[in-house]
Amino acid sequence: MNTVDEILDYAIDQEQQAADFYADLATRAEKAGMKNILLDFSAEEKTHKQRLLAVKAGDRELTPEQEVLDLKISDYLVEVDASENISYQDALIVAMKRERAAFQLYTDMAARVPDGKLREVLQGLAREEAKHKLFFESEYDDRVLQDN
Amino acid sequence: MSLKDLLSPFYVWQRAFEKPYTSMRPIQERPGSAAYRGFHINISEECIGCGTCHKICQNDAIDMVRVEACEGRSGDSGLRPRFDYGRCCWCALCVDMCPAGSLRMSNEYTWITSDPTEYHFTAGVEHTTWQENPLGYRRAEDYHLYPPRRIGMEMRPPEESVQSFDEVVLGYSESQALLEADRCIECGICVATCPAHMDVPDYIRSIRERDYEKGLQLMYRTNPFPATCGRICTRRCESVCPVGIQGEPIAIRWLKRFIVDQIAPQDYARILADQTGDSGRRVAIIGAGPGGLSAAYYLRRKGHAVTVFESQAMAGGMLRYGVPSYRLPDPALDKDIDYIRSLGVEIRFNTRVGRDIPFDELLDGYDALFISTGLTLPSSMRIQGEDHPRVLSGLKVLDDVASGRDPGIGRQVAVIGGGNVAMDAARVSRRLGAEVTILYRRRIADMPADPEEVHESREEGCRIVTQAIPVEVLNASQSDQVALQWGEAEMVQDPRGGRPRPVLQEDRMHTDTFDCIISAIGQGGDLGFLPGNLQEQLAIEWGKFIPGEYQHTALAKVFVGGDVANRTADAISAIEDGHHAARGIERFLNPDAPAGSEQQVN
Repeated sequence: MNTVDEILDYAIDQEQQAADFYADLATRAEKAGMKNILLDFSAEEKTHKQRLLAVKAGDRELTPEQEVLDLKISDYLVEVDASENISYQDALIVAMKRERAAFQLYTDMAARVPDGKLREVLQGLAREEAKHKLFFESEYDDRVLQDN
Repeated sequence: MSLKDLLSPFYVWQRAFEKPYTSMRPIQERPGSAAYRGFHINISEECIGCGTCHKICQNDAIDMVRVEACEGRSGDSGLRPRFDYGRCCWCALCVDMCPAGSLRMSNEYTWITSDPTEYHFTAGVEHTTWQENPLGYRRAEDYHLYPPRRIGMEMRPPEESVQSFDEVVLGYSESQALLEADRCIECGICVATCPAHMDVPDYIRSIRERDYEKGLQLMYRTNPFPATCGRICTRRCESVCPVGIQGEPIAIRWLKRFIVDQIAPQDYARILADQTGDSGRRVAIIGAGPGGLSAAYYLRRKGHAVTVFESQAMAGGMLRYGVPSYRLPDPALDKDIDYIRSLGVEIRFNTRVGRDIPFDELLDGYDALFISTGLTLPSSMRIQGEDHPRVLSGLKVLDDVASGRDPGIGRQVAVIGGGNVAMDAARVSRRLGAEVTILYRRRIADMPADPEEVHESREEGCRIVTQAIPVEVLNASQSDQVALQWGEAEMVQDPRGGRPRPVLQEDRMHTDTFDCIISAIGQGGDLGFLPGNLQEQLAIEWGKFIPGEYQHTALAKVFVGGDVANRTADAISAIEDGHHAARGIERFLNPDAPAGSEQQVN
C-alpha cells in the first residue's frame, strides 16, 4: 500500500468486513434481542464505509487534526468470544476492541511512512477509528457501567 | 329675576385664565413605597404551577391557566397564575405562601384602561411594565406560613446500627406525623410525578383527620405495597415537592409508612373490603416481585384466577433477596404480600419457568400471561483476573444474607460500584464486621444510589473512593486474599454533551489487598426461559422488553413489566407496571367492555 487510494481502499474494505462480521454474527445470535443490536453494529460499520467512500471521492475530509477523547475502557477489558451466545456486554467489548485494533494499526502504519500525504491520510484514518472507538466506549459507559 | 342672576353664569369665565386648582391626572408620578403591595410579578422559570396561590386566595382572584411554554418540565404542572384585579384585595397571602418563592409584588399600582376585562393577566407570561420592577412587596427570607424544615426522623445511631440488622429508621410517632402532615400544601405535583400516581395529598390529609383506615384505602387504589414503599421507595414525589424548594420536602415516604404501621394486618380485609369473585379467566404471572404481585392484586380484584410462578422459595423478588432487612424488615414486606395472597393469589414457589415448567405450557394453558422477572443476573466487570474465587457478586452476598447464609466476606472488603446494590452490599458487610472500601469510577454526585443510602453508608463507616477505576484482579500473597489494581480517573467533558466521563490516568495506579472484592456494577435480565422463536417476536432491546401502551407485546396475550421492561428499575415503577398491565389484561380479556372501563382496575 503505497498510495493514498490504496490505503483508503484497504480501510473501506476493513469497514465492509466489519459490517459483514456483525451481520453474520446476527444470523447466528441466540440471545433475545441480540440480532437487532448486531445488525445495528453492522449498519454503523456501513456508515463508516460510506464516510470513507466520500473521502475517496473528494466529497469529505478525514477527521481533522484534533484530539479524540480516549476513555480507555477497552484497554483493560479481557478478550471475549464472538460466539452465537454473545451478550450485549460482550458484543460491545468485541466492537470496542476491533476499533481499538484498527486505531492501533493505522497509528503504527503512520509512524512507519515518511512525512507527507500518505502519513496524513493514515493519521486521519487513525482518528476516524478513535472516533468509532469512542462511540462504542460511550455506549459501554452508558449501558453497561450504569452502576459503576 | 335680577340682572345679577342673569349674568352670574358668565362670571365663571373670569376664572378661565387663572391657574387651575386641579391637575390633569389625579396622581402625578407618585411611586408606591418600596415594599408596596402593587401588581404581581411571577418569575415564570421559578414557578412550578403548583397552584398554592390559587388555593390560598380568599377572594378567588387567582386562576391557574395552561401556558404551553411551561409544559413538559418535570415537577411543573405547566400552569401559571392568572390574576383578576377586579377581585384582588392585595393582601399578599399568595406571595407569603408561594413555596417556589417565584411570586412577589411590584410597587406599581396604576393601570389605566377603558376596558375593565383587561384587568386580568398571567403574571410572568404576559408582558407588563412592572415584571422587572425591583421594588414592591417580597416575603421576608425567614418568614414562612408553614415550617420549612421537616420533622426529624428518629434513627438508630450509626455505631448502634452497624451492630445488627434491625431496622435503622424508627418511624414517626403520631404527634410527629401530625406535625409533618400539617406541612403539606396539597398542591398535588407529587401525584403527577409518582409512577403509580398515588393520591399523596389525600392520604396525608387522612393523617390530619386521624382516619388511617381511609389513608390505607386510598393507598391501595394504586399501590398494594404501601408498607414496603413506606420504607424503601425512591420517592420521586419528594424530589418535586414544592415545599422542598425553599425548605425540606414533605416526608411523604415516612408518612406513608406511618399510616400502614397504624393498622394491624388482621384489619386489612375489613378495611379494604376487596371483592374478588370468579370471572372464569386464568392469568399466569412469572415472578413474585413487586411487579408480578401488583398485577396479581389488581387482576384478582377483577375476579380472575391468578397463578404466580416464582423460582425462589419466598415471594418478594429483589425486595426480599436484594434489600437488606435493616432497610426493609421481612414483617413489613410480608404485610403487603400476605394481604395479596389472602385474596386467593396462588404462588408456586421454587418453580423456574423454562426449567421446571415450559414457557409454552403457560402460554397455552392461561388466558393471559404477565412477565415480570426482574434483573437477576449480575453484570461482570470483564477485567483480568475477575474469576478469582475471592471476587463475589453483590447480588449473591445480599441473597446469602437474606437467606441466612454466611457470604464469607472476611474483614477487609472492597465494593465496586455506586448503585443501591453496592451501598447495600457495603452496609451489610459492615454489619458482618468488615472494614469496607467502596470504589466508584465517577463522582459522588453521579452515584445512582439513593443519596440517603450514600450518606448512611458513610455514617456507618464505609470509606468511599471516587474516580477509582478497577483495572485488574491479582493474586495476593495470602491465598485467602485478593489484590485489586485500580487507577485514578479524571472527569472529562464529553464533546458530544451529557455528563462528564471518567478517564483512567495510567500514571496513577494503585494496588490494594482485600479479603474479598464485591462486584456490584449493575445487573441484567435473564430471558433464557423464552423459547427462541418467541424471542424474535417480542421487542427486546439491550436485554429489556419494550412494552406497548398497556404493557402489551406483539404476542396478544403476553404482557411485560417491572425492571425487565422499564428504565427506572425501582419498586414503585414495577408496581405501576403491574397495575397498568392488569388494566391491559382486563382490556384484552374483555374487548367488548366500554372504552375506558379498564381504568376501573384500581
